[in-house]
Amino acid sequence: MRLVIALPYLWLVVFFLLPLGLVLGLSLATNAPDLAPPVELGLSFASFKLLFTDDLYLAAWLSSLRIAATSTLVCLLLGYPMAYAIARATPPRRPLLLMLVILPFWTSFLIRVYAWMGLLAENGILNQFLRWSGLMSDPGTILGTEWAIHLGIVYAYLPFMVLPLYTALEKLDWSLLEAASDLGARPLPAFLTVTLPLSLPGIVAGCLLVFIPAVGEFVIPDLLGGTRTLMIGKVLWDEFFTNSDWPLASAVAICLLILLVGPILLFQRQQQRSLERT
Amino acid sequence: MSGPIVKIDGVAKSFGAVQAVAGVDLEIARGELFALLGGSGCGKTTLLRMLAGFETPDSGRIVIDGQDMTGVPPHLRPVNMMFQSYALFPHLDVANNVGYGLKREGVAKTEIAERVAAALALVKLDGLGARRPAQLSGGQRQRVALARALVKRPKLLLLDEPLAALDRKLREGTRFELVRLQEQLELTFVMVTHDQEEAMGMASRLAVMKDGRIVQTGTPHDVYERPATRFVADFIGVANILQTAPRRWLALRPEKIVLAANRPATAHAATGKIVDIAYEGDRSLYRVAIGNGPVMLVAQMNTERVRESHRRGDAVWLGWSDDAGQPLEE
Amino acid sequence: MRFLAGLLLLLTLASPATAQKQVNVYNWSDYIAEDRLKVFTAETGIKVNYTTYDSNEILDAKLKAGRSGYDVVVPTASPFLVRQLAAKLYQPIDKAKLKNLGNLDPKLMAELAKYDPGNRHAIPWMWGTIGVGYNVAEIRKRMPDAPVESLGMIFDPKIVSRFADCGVMVLDSATDMFPAALKYLGLDPDSKSSADLAKAAEVMKAIRPSIRKFHSSEYINALAGGDICLAFGYSGDILQARDRAAKAAQKREIAYGPPKEGAMLWIDTAAIPKDAPNPEQAHRFLDFMLEPKVAAASSTLTGYANANLPATALLDKAIAGNPWIYPPAEARAKLYTITAANAEQTRERTRLWTAIKTGR
Repeated sequence: MRLVIALPYLWLVVFFLLPLGLVLGLSLATNAPDLAPPVELGLSFASFKLLFTDDLYLAAWLSSLRIAATSTLVCLLLGYPMAYAIARATPPRRPLLLMLVILPFWTSFLIRVYAWMGLLAENGILNQFLRWSGLMSDPGTILGTEWAIHLGIVYAYLPFMVLPLYTALEKLDWSLLEAASDLGARPLPAFLTVTLPLSLPGIVAGCLLVFIPAVGEFVIPDLLGGTRTLMIGKVLWDEFFTNSDWPLASAVAICLLILLVGPILLFQRQQQRSLERT
Repeated sequence: MSGPIVKIDGVAKSFGAVQAVAGVDLEIARGELFALLGGSGCGKTTLLRMLAGFETPDSGRIVIDGQDMTGVPPHLRPVNMMFQSYALFPHLDVANNVGYGLKREGVAKTEIAERVAAALALVKLDGLGARRPAQLSGGQRQRVALARALVKRPKLLLLDEPLAALDRKLREGTRFELVRLQEQLELTFVMVTHDQEEAMGMASRLAVMKDGRIVQTGTPHDVYERPATRFVADFIGVANILQTAPRRWLALRPEKIVLAANRPATAHAATGKIVDIAYEGDRSLYRVAIGNGPVMLVAQMNTERVRESHRRGDAVWLGWSDDAGQPLEE
Repeated sequence: MRFLAGLLLLLTLASPATAQKQVNVYNWSDYIAEDRLKVFTAETGIKVNYTTYDSNEILDAKLKAGRSGYDVVVPTASPFLVRQLAAKLYQPIDKAKLKNLGNLDPKLMAELAKYDPGNRHAIPWMWGTIGVGYNVAEIRKRMPDAPVESLGMIFDPKIVSRFADCGVMVLDSATDMFPAALKYLGLDPDSKSSADLAKAAEVMKAIRPSIRKFHSSEYINALAGGDICLAFGYSGDILQARDRAAKAAQKREIAYGPPKEGAMLWIDTAAIPKDAPNPEQAHRFLDFMLEPKVAAASSTLTGYANANLPATALLDKAIAGNPWIYPPAEARAKLYTITAANAEQTRERTRLWTAIKTGR
């Protein structure tokens, strides 16, 4: 019995705290390219200092946050009606609709991103269609722009938005909406004063599930995006692989973690409060 | 304005292949406490939801206070509803629940506060405005739902099984409370219930529904004493239904029958044997077999304390007067 | 009981290493004629555990993390082999064990010795140049006299901008792009001075608006598929693009332009990590790579020149006689190599590179 209780903690220590400690230790080390591994352990804050003084990193942070935030917003705007429609569908239909949302996960993530490359390239399927149909003779190229990154992130993470929203909306007692309408609320105010606040936990969970991985996203901007878009995931990759600077790469990783712990704690507190309520 | 507050003209509604309401005509007068009574699936709830505007009639029309409700959405109807589940907003406190409808109307904040406080006082929930619904008992929640509907001063209050979610003891008190409020506020209540005792005890008038149709409308007294059909006679209270001729029956209430050792001096009499006795304290119910014919239920008040009047197996006489029974043709 | 027996069977199956000699090879994908590996095993009794990667950076990180378990790896000489040599990641090769060592091209050995003095740790495997790949028809349409065999094709903003509409891609590699830009300016391509790098950066910022994407491999498919018409990349990759385009339904002619100012020479090498578990077998494998037949078969597969002189005779004329693969003596004399940068220089270059790419 004790073993069963200890297991999750053991898991946490071995697969979370230990690696985290390692990365933290690395972030405080000094870069030493002539060593293997290329670090000199110590207590140096040089990597962090560089991270906060060089405006290139700041720009990378800002553009990562901006892209993650807009993608999250688009996911929310697309995902909410989807989740709402699924939650209001007849119970026998819901599993089918949910399945359709989850279905893309059955294909490898990488293959799906490559498929988008095929769609969005200069001579890709989309442009071929536009030219063939005569809608646009010179459609330009979406691949390699920030549009493509947004598209990729929204496409890849939409299910992470829909599922928690669905869970929240499915629990919603629809007679509350009837009550609101009965008390004189038009559909929009009824939505804003009843549905929205009651689905807030789902909104927060969905946004975090999309926002957090989107900030550190590497594959999508690398494959779909242009070189003009700087994202922190790419910076981390560059520091680790191209510059072989493990301390700086670790410092980026630690900052990413700290940045994202804030919203998670906020979410937890909100969850706690809603638990106390009921 | 005079005239009925509610006028229902040939309203029908189907869900797929199921006909929930099959052509109902009904008028409800101002100040009535009107009950729609029937078993599950009889269409009473659908009818109520059509009054509120949550369902649209397939045909026919509903007029409330002289205004045709066809195409009028729920939020524009001069009607409020108390839901069976109460449907209180879990994320709002009691005061905001009660004030919700006033806020939507754009009533000034100070007025909202006053009216909410008055409504809470009316249902005896003074001082609980800051609580959340989850922190209230079942009876308190029911009263919040009532206050929330009343605070809007509706022309018509709809109540969907208002007592069903309460336990038995609480139900009794609340029944009188609802009637008191209805009389005090001079409102029209339309309530839906499956409980005939509840309907009889509260309603000034009621409609018995079956298979989407109204079978009989009248005061509780009318419906009890003069049931129109065998179904009503059986559904409202208990009745012995005797076939008197082909397609002709007589509904005879158990308490309208005299039970005696010797032939009573009534217009009608029959002999039989007691096969069963249920002692209920204030009265006893006897099942009496008439020859090889029907078994009749007879109720006698136990007016004497010492002696048991009859025993199982006793041969007895049953008697009833000419006007004790209601003749039925259907 | 049966379960235990099954478990035992699994255990014995899982550890064939104790029973058979093996060598763990970590190579670029599609970089050796894999059918020859069977011959190696048949001749030596050594099993080959063959795994592949597609970027030097991955190999670098694995080696630096330690205990990679590889016996033979194939890093590019500059900057990766150099960086790894500085970190003392390789063991010296015991040349007495390589009876085919004499097959190697002495000129290439001399170039490689700049990175690995005395050729003590690595042998050259394949080599090539960096130059201009282009879609012949699209370029001709826009500029009939385009200087396709000049660095100006890429680095002159007036010229490259004429092809912006049909798509231009260049390598996403500071170590490959800065030397080329310096060469275009007539400066020392190996210069690490901040002033020179700044000048090179100015050149690249000027052409930045014409460049659709910086990427080190996507241009192969993009060129072949007609998504771009101009690329600056590795010779072998551009030849691959040519072959793919020729096989495609919609035929496109792709050609390579080796810069007449002088092209950068890159060399991929084979070396044995210091902690290789099977150094003996690793030497046997290196010697196998030095066999002319193996080198020739691999060149036929990849379209890259190999470092093996006798192998040239075994090659198809289309490869051995192709000036894009085996440049004539005059062009070969102009090839240049670069030395590794230290950590500060690397950072400065990477930083400049990121600034150029993001258009800041």
